[in-house]
Amino acid sequence: MSGTHRYFWPLLVVVALVQSAALFKIVYDKDRLLKTGREITMPVKPLDPRDIFRGDYVTLGYDISTLNTSHVPIGNFDNFPVGSAAYITLSPNPAGGWAVAAVAPEHPTTVAPTDVVLKGRVDRIWRAQTASDSVINMRYGIETYFVAEGTGRALESKVREHKIDAIVAVGADGTAVLKGLVIDGERHVDPPLL
Amino acid sequence: MWAPYKKRLARDLDRWEANGWVTNDGRTAILSDVESSGRNFSLASALAILASVLFGFAAISFVAAHWEEMPRLGRLVLLLASIWAGYGVAGWLAARGHGALADAAILFAVAMFGASIMLISQMYNIDGNPPDAVLMWWIGALFAGVLLRSNPALALAMVLVCVWSSMEVLQSNAVHWPFLGGWAAVTGAFVWQRWFPGLHLSALALTGFLISLGYLLGRGHEHTAVAIIGMLVAAAVIGAEKVLPDYDHLTAPILAYAVVVTFAGLYALQFFENTSLGTLIALAALTLVLLLGAISYGLATANRGVLWLGYIGFSLEVLSVYWKTVGSILNTSLFFLVAALIVAALAYMALRIAQRGRSSTEAAV
Repeated sequence: MSGTHRYFWPLLVVVALVQSAALFKIVYDKDRLLKTGREITMPVKPLDPRDIFRGDYVTLGYDISTLNTSHVPIGNFDNFPVGSAAYITLSPNPAGGWAVAAVAPEHPTTVAPTDVVLKGRVDRIWRAQTASDSVINMRYGIETYFVAEGTGRALESKVREHKIDAIVAVGADGTAVLKGLVIDGERHVDPPLL
Repeated sequence: MWAPYKKRLARDLDRWEANGWVTNDGRTAILSDVESSGRNFSLASALAILASVLFGFAAISFVAAHWEEMPRLGRLVLLLASIWAGYGVAGWLAARGHGALADAAILFAVAMFGASIMLISQMYNIDGNPPDAVLMWWIGALFAGVLLRSNPALALAMVLVCVWSSMEVLQSNAVHWPFLGGWAAVTGAFVWQRWFPGLHLSALALTGFLISLGYLLGRGHEHTAVAIIGMLVAAAVIGAEKVLPDYDHLTAPILAYAVVVTFAGLYALQFFENTSLGTLIALAALTLVLLLGAISYGLATANRGVLWLGYIGFSLEVLSVYWKTVGSILNTSLFFLVAALIVAALAYMALRIAQRGRSSTEAAV
């Protein structure tokens, strides 16, 4: 620090304002997404059912977390380097739930009103001998659910051998945010902040 | 000013005064100049910086503990208030001339900014890409460091750039090239601030990045490239020292970092890769010759960093060769015998050169 110059106070305020504004922008964006985003629910695969609510957060696995090339109708997996964005289109299953209809490196231009587009990030790729049989691990930013120490125990007792669904809010651009969990039909959702 | 330098200078001045080169007045003038020049890095400011670091960790663990007694909005307001309080205290301290303490307050505010990012990620279960949170944090730290000319905030920014990059590397197991962008931005700020310790931090970060290339490029076997980069930088620095002798305060430390990069590359080639015995011996010989070169260059240019790194590298190299080959081949003892003979011969040559040189000037170091 170069000492007490004339602009030091204004500069301090500028730094504090910009940092606060940056923080506020995330809060605002996420809150808006929670309120206005399209809500979908997806079954959650507890990665280790006995330990699901032990830690500070729960790691959630989804059917769409692992994409197998041979099971995806449309999509060329050669264009997905690790770390790149990928947009998956989900169509409602007649039997309930969602099925992956397409995978693309960009947001599709036309989306059927029943479909939902989720933006993900390629986490890992296993390439098989034949190019048509690769397996891609995806992350959508909805894999971590933070649990307060007090509430975790209560949820944990409900969770054993029960059906868990994640409530996800999806924005028009495909960004997803985890809203909460449905455990045996009971919604556990934190209210929006603002 | 740092105590060792002052102490050494006082000792030298005593001798110079006794030899009649410096008058008593000159001695006093030189010592008082050293006393006044440079910022006094007092114990108070050092403790204040450490306190800021502890406050930062306290806040981050407060966030991590999901302190549910307080509603989320309350926690967010508390963290935002501590950001503003940190900058407010910084202004108050700076107005009273406590620049170093103001720096500590700025560091505290930047730490609170990071804690707020983490709390927000937690509130919205944001997980998409955890390094993105660190990216936002270091940009905020760099912004504060540049606008407020705060060196501790810039140092934190450099540390966070390294954390951000390491997290990306752990995720993707590939070279994280954007590191170079963040590194250049923070290093540029250090240069602009003319903060020399910060440049050491930059050099250290870049050294780590270069060494990591050997483990990330070419399926993790690119140590040859690392060693070559280190040697090229060392050669360039030695060339620069010849052309621009006035910049030795910059070139001397860079040479030390180049020695580290070269040695790290050669070391990995010899001891972490599957090398045949012949290759190992050739590489070990090359490494020892280079280290001897570094030691003699360090002696010749009074570059203590290079000198000590040379000694340390030499010991490490010899010990590692011993560990790798002991018991497996009879030639181990032969290797050490030959190495010992070569070094002894070099020592004899150096002694002869030094004796010849002593007639004109007294040997340095």
